Amino acid sequence: MTSQASKRLFKEYRDLSSNPPDGITAGPVTEDDMFVWEALIQGPEDTPFEGGVFPAELKFPKDYPLAPPKMKFLVEMWHPNVYPNGEVCISILHPPGDDPHHYEQASERWSPIQSVEKILISVMSMLAEPNDESPANVDAARMWREKRVEYERIVRDNVRKSLGL
Amino acid sequence: MAEQTLNIPQIIVFIAVTVLIVRWFLKPSGAGQPSSASNRAARLNPAQIDHLVQMFPQLDRRTVAWNLNRTGGNAQAITETLLAGGTLQQPPTSFQIPPSRTATPSAGQRQAPRQPAKPAQPDLITRYNLASKLGQAAESSAVETPKGKAWSQDKNERQANLQRRREEMILAARRKLEEKAKAEQKSA
Repeated sequence: MTSQASKRLFKEYRDLSSNPPDGITAGPVTEDDMFVWEALIQGPEDTPFEGGVFPAELKFPKDYPLAPPKMKFLVEMWHPNVYPNGEVCISILHPPGDDPHHYEQASERWSPIQSVEKILISVMSMLAEPNDESPANVDAARMWREKRVEYERIVRDNVRKSLGL
Repeated sequence: MAEQTLNIPQIIVFIAVTVLIVRWFLKPSGAGQPSSASNRAARLNPAQIDHLVQMFPQLDRRTVAWNLNRTGGNAQAITETLLAGGTLQQPPTSFQIPPSRTATPSAGQRQAPRQPAKPAQPDLITRYNLASKLGQAAESSAVETPKGKAWSQDKNERQANLQRRREEMILAARRKLEEKAKAEQKSA
């Protein structure tokens, strides 16, 4: 099982390296352990995240790709779908059976035909378009809804801070 | 005379037993009240308070906590009172609330959303040790970019490629942001 999972992860790593999607760099922290990756995601244009680069850690379970990885941002993120501890909450990271609220389509959720690349692309579009149906950060969700200007200011400040400016 | 000296320990035992029995009988009624009340205060669940405050942001935590305490943790009853347009009892000044689970603002402050306090993350320049490359980055990365996309058969080379791509991405973002900041300063 484990070797199958690493094989699959290795293949995904190769595909992502030879043909990286725009604004995404991802790979294992070290090839000795294929189950911990680090990804960089560029902030999408025309959003307050524009210009930022956001590092995140991906932790894969031993039975990948049957179960999805967990993803956690390693910089401060102010976003309705990111928990204050950095953990990302979007449907593609949820296994099909695990939906207590029944608002997610089965097709949006994790399945072995998804991939790291798809996760990262989904997260990128999540940055641009938060889903406030199921906020992971209630305060950020409320601010996004009610005080967009203030929300965008915090996001821009974080972008600057994360780049050491 | 001998009889009397024998009786003294008996009397002491009798008194001791009586005192114990009396205390045992008094305990449930006398000491029972305060102990169950303090149990209730201890059972006060911060998560429950947070939950109610989230539902009714106009309330302050102390009022919610006091009323939860009063109703023995019956959040349902409080919700119903509020939904029916009722008001909650004000807590006495001596009442202390248990600390919040998340770092929500305490008593007096209104629920102004803000970022919860947490350990600051190192910025990307520190994280990836890029301080030394900040100045020189512009020239070197421009020359090397095409090579980055290839997949190498060598493990170490792959690792190095990945690292280089990461660094370039961060340095490029930083350069852009710096330029933008300069441009803004000029126009301002």
